[in-house]
Formats: sequence, structure tokens, C-alpha cells
Amino acid sequence: MVQFNFKGITVVPSGKEMVDIILSRTQRQTPTVVHKGYAINRLRQFYMRKVRFTQQNFHEKLSAIVDEFPRLEGIHPFYSDLLHVLYNKDHYKLALGQVNTARNLISKVAKDYVRLLKYGDSLYRCKCLKVAALGRMCTVIKRIGPSLAYLEQVRQHMARLPSIDPNMRTILICGYPNVGKSSFMNKITRADVDVQPYAFTTKSLFVGHTDYNYLRYQVIDTPGILDRPFEDRNIIEMCSITALAHLRSAVLFFLDISGSCGYTVAQQAALFHSIKSLFLNKPLMIVCNKIDLQQLNALSEDDKRLVDEMKAEALKTLPIGGDPNAEQQVLVTMSTLTDEGVINVRNTACERILDQRVEIKMKSKKINDCLNRFHVAMPKPRDGKERPVCIPQQVSEQRAKDREVEKEKEKRKLEKDLENENGGAGVYSASLKKHYLLANDEWKEDIIPEIIDGHNVADFMDPDILERLEELEREEGFRLAGEEGDDFEIDGDNMTPEEREALNEIRKRKKALIQEHRIKKSTAESRPIVPRKFDKDRQFTTERMGRQLSGLGLDPSKAIERVRSRSVSRGRKRERSVAADGAGDDGMEIDNDGKGSNKRLRLRSVSRSRSRSRAPVEEVIPGEGFKDKEQKVKAIKLGKKSVKKRNKDARKGEADRVILNMMPKHLFSGKRGIGKTSRR
Amino acid sequence: MRLEKCWFCSSTIYPGHGIQFVRNDAKIFRFCRSKCHKNFKMKRNPRKVKWTKAYRRLHGKDMTQDSTFEFERKRNRPQRYDRINTEKVLQAIPKISKVKATRQKDHITKRLSVGRVNRRTEDRRELEQSISLVKAPSVLKEDATLTLPKQKVTVSYAQTENTPMEE
Repeated sequence: MVQFNFKGITVVPSGKEMVDIILSRTQRQTPTVVHKGYAINRLRQFYMRKVRFTQQNFHEKLSAIVDEFPRLEGIHPFYSDLLHVLYNKDHYKLALGQVNTARNLISKVAKDYVRLLKYGDSLYRCKCLKVAALGRMCTVIKRIGPSLAYLEQVRQHMARLPSIDPNMRTILICGYPNVGKSSFMNKITRADVDVQPYAFTTKSLFVGHTDYNYLRYQVIDTPGILDRPFEDRNIIEMCSITALAHLRSAVLFFLDISGSCGYTVAQQAALFHSIKSLFLNKPLMIVCNKIDLQQLNALSEDDKRLVDEMKAEALKTLPIGGDPNAEQQVLVTMSTLTDEGVINVRNTACERILDQRVEIKMKSKKINDCLNRFHVAMPKPRDGKERPVCIPQQVSEQRAKDREVEKEKEKRKLEKDLENENGGAGVYSASLKKHYLLANDEWKEDIIPEIIDGHNVADFMDPDILERLEELEREEGFRLAGEEGDDFEIDGDNMTPEEREALNEIRKRKKALIQEHRIKKSTAESRPIVPRKFDKDRQFTTERMGRQLSGLGLDPSKAIERVRSRSVSRGRKRERSVAADGAGDDGMEIDNDGKGSNKRLRLRSVSRSRSRSRAPVEEVIPGEGFKDKEQKVKAIKLGKKSVKKRNKDARKGEADRVILNMMPKHLFSGKRGIGKTSRR
Repeated sequence: MRLEKCWFCSSTIYPGHGIQFVRNDAKIFRFCRSKCHKNFKMKRNPRKVKWTKAYRRLHGKDMTQDSTFEFERKRNRPQRYDRINTEKVLQAIPKISKVKATRQKDHITKRLSVGRVNRRTEDRRELEQSISLVKAPSVLKEDATLTLPKQKVTVSYAQTENTPMEE
């Protein structure tokens, strides 16, 4: 069984400390900033996280406590009894139980409050819930404060318990107070136990180690035991009783023959008999101490009888295979003051322990496995003949050969020598390709190509690449042949250039229409509809109509004539217009006509248009006040200029090409806020 | 010496270019230029970034499966140098790349041909429907082709007088 490590238990913080630690940890390790403007889910998450975090930490800490403290059922009975003696089993269990319940309570609290937090509807409410949750958890911890304090005390004391290995070879020293147990301990081990003249100097178990025959023995010093009924014993005595009861060891019962401890031999004998039940199955030795004060032979009759009785008891513990000096093994004398017989006592005790343990091992079932494993053979010499070392001849020959080969290796030419011959380290560079293993040695000095046209050559390496390439090209040929047929089909439905032109024209017209519509649409509400006679943009002119109609492929002349005949003219009769219409029919298709009809049409159209309109603008009408045609033209020009719309668009005109400031200061001076000023 | 592929855009990284990033799990990312590197740092998925090869392959813009891809495969086992084989390979590589290139081109052309056909039919339909914008119906009745009408140009007076009309 592995010995429980009492020193490995973590410190148990007090209630207040624990609360402080965990709350500050929650404060540090969870997000702290939250605003009431956040989404409600986020607020809830924030506070739930805090509650859960605190609960987890408490859980961790309390679990650590509960787990690390030893369970009294799970450790060696010696220790469990010792702990019971020292700390009272019930109290111990209760404290741990309280810690456990606290842990569960905290979990429950956290669960409840997390559930409540899911329905928190404002920052304030969530915060209150969190505060309440943490508060309750801390109250739980506060309530178990005394238990925690107790456990801390226990832990501190446990850490100072001596590390006794219950399975090791042990020598237990017991007897009345002041008989010389601790002095003996000091003599045989390195332990430095207090030795004082008053009783109960040793208040607890002490452990020391001693060596005998290359083996280590544990020596346990106990506090003195008084002869009292079992129930009346105090804690200190109970320690030694526990040790006696549970540790399988040799027991050295110390006897002070001189009585200088304050108790008579009779009292000591009485003690012996009262606790002899604890000595069952343990090699027992009666050690008579302080013989420098009182010799064993010089004892009184009664005392000697008592001692003999004790010896008789002790003899019972001897193994059955009797030893000649059995008496010596059971009853020994010594004096710690004069060192007389101390070592002897120790040796005897060690021997007894060893014997007993070996006996037990021999009786157990495992012994056969051990015995089968070793056998010590001690061959006896047959005769006194000399027999020296013998090496066969072959072996010595082989060895000589090996030595020769080594010498040869030293004479072989090294690369280093080659280098030195050819100019030294900086001049000669060794050909690393010299030892290449290739199919053909001529290829050794080849430069291996790695990259070609953006591809890695190594990726293409394949012994049958040319065959595959051939296949590929064949496939490609088939594929191309197949695809040519497809292409022709698609190209069939192509447009002629004239059709293309027509399509472009159509698209242009459409775009123009859309644009116009957009302009009209956007300004229609704010723009007054001007009647046609005040046609500012000259949209409704005959030239325009003529152009559009001829664009469509129609002959506009007839239409223009019709329009002009219908327009307001100065006192022209209707008949002429009718006659003119008739003449206009001939002019439908100019292409086919001869020049005569053209001429006719032209003259006519000219005269017609003129005759039906007003008098030409430049013609001087007497009575207007103009000298001649020139003057009138000039006057008309001036008149037009005066009505010209002024450019009030605030746009720069020709007169406005003025740079007021050739070098504005802000562009030519000053440092930049960021960057360089290497150009301006 | 090995030409690697950029992890982001799959273009080849020539020596002296780009950046190599080794992650803590020992995966190596190579980038051809800082554009790809910066995109990677922004945690952009190359399959969603239009100009990368990964996107193009995934969305069928470029050829994905073809026998020419089998020729170029990274082999992890080193091979002994063999002059004859190397010569063969060096001859074969340009031809293979040519075939691959033509196939790529054809793939793209095929993909785009659908659009071409659609555009053609649309143009024809538009032309048929809207020819009346440029050609008067009476003119169309006479000349049924879908072309611009012949313009009626009034020839100048002087010209008709001087030049004799040829019959």
C-alpha cells in the first residue's frame, strides 16, 4: 500500500479568505464592462457567466479539500487510528461532510440563480440577481468557516506527523515514562529526540532509521505509557497504543531496573501484563536499562520473579526452531549512559525482526516464485592442477589480419589530401558528383534541369511519357476534328454589315428617345408648355422635318410643300396652292427622274416658297426709314444682338481669364501635418 | 529549385518572389505577392474571391478535369537521374503545355458561345422589331431588307446643270 502523503495536502483557506480569493478572481477573470444599452441576451449572458464562474471556482476549491484530505477508511489502519486518536474521527468526518454539503449547496444556488437570470429583463434586475447569488454562496462559505479552520489545524498537524512506513522493518520502543527510550533512540539513530528528567518529555511518535547488515530499519520512539485502564488514557498514550496495535514490528519493552524513573519494577511488570495482548505475533524483547545504576543479578527476589515472568512471556514469541541462546535473545541488558550493550540490543532486535519476516515469507505462497529464481552454486575444486588461458590459433591469426587492415586504411588517399594537392581550401572545390551512382557514368557531370517554361521538370518525369504524349496528341486531333463542325453552325447566323449599321442606328435612336423623355419627364412639372408658335429651340422647322423624313427614306418635299401651303402667308390665294400640289407629285422619286424634271421642280419649289412667304427680310420697304439694304441688314443685326439673352449663368466667360493670385500663400509655404514637402 | 504555387491565387511563384508563412501546426502557406498575403491575413476565402484560380475552377469558368493534368503531378519519391528520360521529358513538356492551352481556350470559348448565340438572336429580334424607327413602312414594303433606307438627297442646282446625266 502506498503511503499517504500528508504533506501534500493544499492549504485550506479560512472562510473569509476563500470568499475574498474567489470573488476577486471572478472580478479579474470575467469581463467587467457592461452597459444598459446592450441587447438583453448579452446582459443575461454576462451575469450568468459571473455566477457560473464563481460557482465553478468554489466547487473546485471545495472539491480539492474534500479529495485531498485522507479518507479514514482508505489508509493504513495505523494511520486511521492515529488520526482518530489525535483529531477525533467523528469531528473530522463531520468537518469534511460539511464542506461537501457546502459544495452541493453552492451548486444548487448557482443553478437556481442562473435559471432566474434567463428571465431577467433589465440590467438592474440581472445585476441584483447576480449579487444575490454571489451573496448566498458567500454565506454558505461563511457558515462552514469553523470547519475550515479545524481542517486547517488538522492539516498543519498532519504535515508534521512522522513518516512511518507501516510495511518496513520496524523496531518499536515502549515502556514507562523516563525509562530511557529516547536516549536509546538517540544512540542508535540520527534522530535528535528531547531527553529530559521529567515525565512525558516525548509527547508524540518519533521516527529514526538505523542500518544493520546493509538493511535499513525504522525505529519508532513512543511516549511513555502509564498503567491505567484503557478508557482513561490520554491522547499521548493513545498514540503509542495505536502504534503498538497496528505496526507489525519488533517490540522492545524497556525496563528500568533501578527505579530511578519513579516507578518500581512491580508497576512496570503490571503494565507489561496489561498490554501484553498487544504483543501478539511480534518479536518481543525485554530490555533492562540503567544497569549502571542497578545490576540485573542484584535485583530483589520479587523483582527477579517478575522479570522472569516477563521473560517467559517473551519466550513465547520466539520461533519454534529453538536457539541455544534463546534467553540472550529475549532478555538483554544495557545502559545508555555508558553505552554498554546498546549495539548488542540493536543487533539482536534486528536479527529477530529479520528472522520473523523471513519466516513469514517462507510460509507464504509467493515464496516458490522467489526460490525458483536463484540458486547459488559453489563448485568445489576437483584437484590442484594449474589450468592457464588458451587462445586457438585461428583467432590469433584473425586478430593479426585485422590489425593490418587498419593500417591500410590509414594509408588510403583522402579527399583532404586531394584538396591540399590542388591548391588548398579556397582554390579547390571538391566534385561532389564524383561518387554518384547512375546507370551510365558519363552522366555524372550533367546539369540536371529543374525548371522549364514555368513548370517543374521533376513533376513530369515518367519513363513512358512519350507514348502518353502520342496518345494525347491523337486524342487532341480527334477532338479538334469534331469541333470544327460545331463552329460552322454557330457562325451561320451572322448579320451583314448593312444590317449591323441599321441596328446601330436603331439603338442610337432609341437612346435619343429615352434621353429626351427623361429630360421632358424631369422638367415637365416645372416647365411651362410653350405653344408652337414661340418655338425657341426651332424644333418645328421644315428643315428638321425634311431631314427626319429623308432619314426614314421618304421624300420630304411633298410634305414640306404641304406644310408651307398651310402656313400663314401674306395675302396669297388658295388656287395657287392647289396647282402647286399637282406639280409636286412628279417629284416623288428624284432618283429615277432626268435632269429636266429636277430643274423644273427646283425652280418651282424656289419660286413657290418665296411667293408664299413674306417679303424677304432685307428688302427695304419705303416708309420704314432705312437708307438702303445694307443699313437695314445692319439694323436687323443690331436688333437681334440687343435681344440676345444675357449670360446670367455665372459661368466664366472669355473676359474672366484672370488669375487673381499667382502664388497663394497656403500652397507655397508652411509645413505639412504629415508627410514630406519635397514638391509644391 | 522548385516553382511553387501561390496558396491564394494559384499562380506560380518564381524564385525571389513572395512570402512563405509557416503556421504553428507546420502547414506552409506560400504567397506570390503582398496582395495575396494581405487577403490571406484578412481571412478571405480564395474560393469566394473572383480573380483567383480556385474560384474560377470551382465555378466552372476554367477547365477542371482533363488528361493533361495527369502529366504534371508532384511526386514525393526522389528519382535517380536518367539522361535519356530527362531528354524525353524536356521534349514533351512544351507539346503538353500547348495541348493544355488549346484545351483551356476551347473550354472557355465553348462556355462563351452560348452567350454569343443569345446575343445574335436578340440582335436579330431587335432589328426586326424596331426597324420602323429608321425606315418608313412604305419604304420597307418596297425594299424588304432590314437595312437603312437609301437617303433622298436633293442635288444642287448648279451640278445638275453642268454634269450630263448618264443613262
